[in-house]
Amino acid sequence: MRDNPVLRVVTKIIVPVIFLFALYVQFHGDYGPGGGFQAGVIFAAGLILYGLIFGTESIRCLISTRFLRALIAAGLLLFASVGFLPLLMGWNYLDYDALGQNPLSGQHLGIFLVELGVGITVAAVMVTIFVAFAGRRDS
Amino acid sequence: MLILVVTVLLGTMGLALIRAVRGPTVYDRILAANAFTTKTIVMVTTFGFMVGEPGLYLDIALMYALIGFIGTVAVLKVSEFGNLGQTRPELPPKPK
Repeated sequence: MRDNPVLRVVTKIIVPVIFLFALYVQFHGDYGPGGGFQAGVIFAAGLILYGLIFGTESIRCLISTRFLRALIAAGLLLFASVGFLPLLMGWNYLDYDALGQNPLSGQHLGIFLVELGVGITVAAVMVTIFVAFAGRRDS
Repeated sequence: MLILVVTVLLGTMGLALIRAVRGPTVYDRILAANAFTTKTIVMVTTFGFMVGEPGLYLDIALMYALIGFIGTVAVLKVSEFGNLGQTRPELPPKPK
């Protein structure tokens, strides 16, 4: 589908906008609709569109499979470590009040990091599933 | 007034859905699904203004506009190539 000029140009224009909107959904999720899972799915949708048009090989050139697997684990590790950090400071598991000077800033930082971990994991998992199924024949 | 607009849009969405179900060729179905996506975007926006929270619903409509394109491209690719990963259709085997 790389030979079709309409699809190629529209993809090149729309993919950065999708990434930008995914980041907006991720970091504005506290105040509007959104959150980590939705942002991860939108980010992965941008990468999947890129892979649909330019082939799954170009996704593999962009992000190697090993790095994707590392990202899956890294997001979960971020989530778990944010949860265990208050435990080390003498609070309950995932008690964000311990993370900041006052409970408000602590909650803000905790939610921010946890949602970031969820977003990274979900985006990496979605792209991995797409590459695994769509690139089955040419692997 | 906006309630009327939403109702009419829902009716046209129903018509598009009927075409998507009954369409004789695959292109009818794809076109119907595409029209359905567009109508959904307009309906979500109108609904947002009707409820009085346009900021919240405009985000959703924007996301729907971005994501709907991907679905159309994916269905077109499957219907033409039979595979999501290839970049071009399979060439017929060369005559020996």
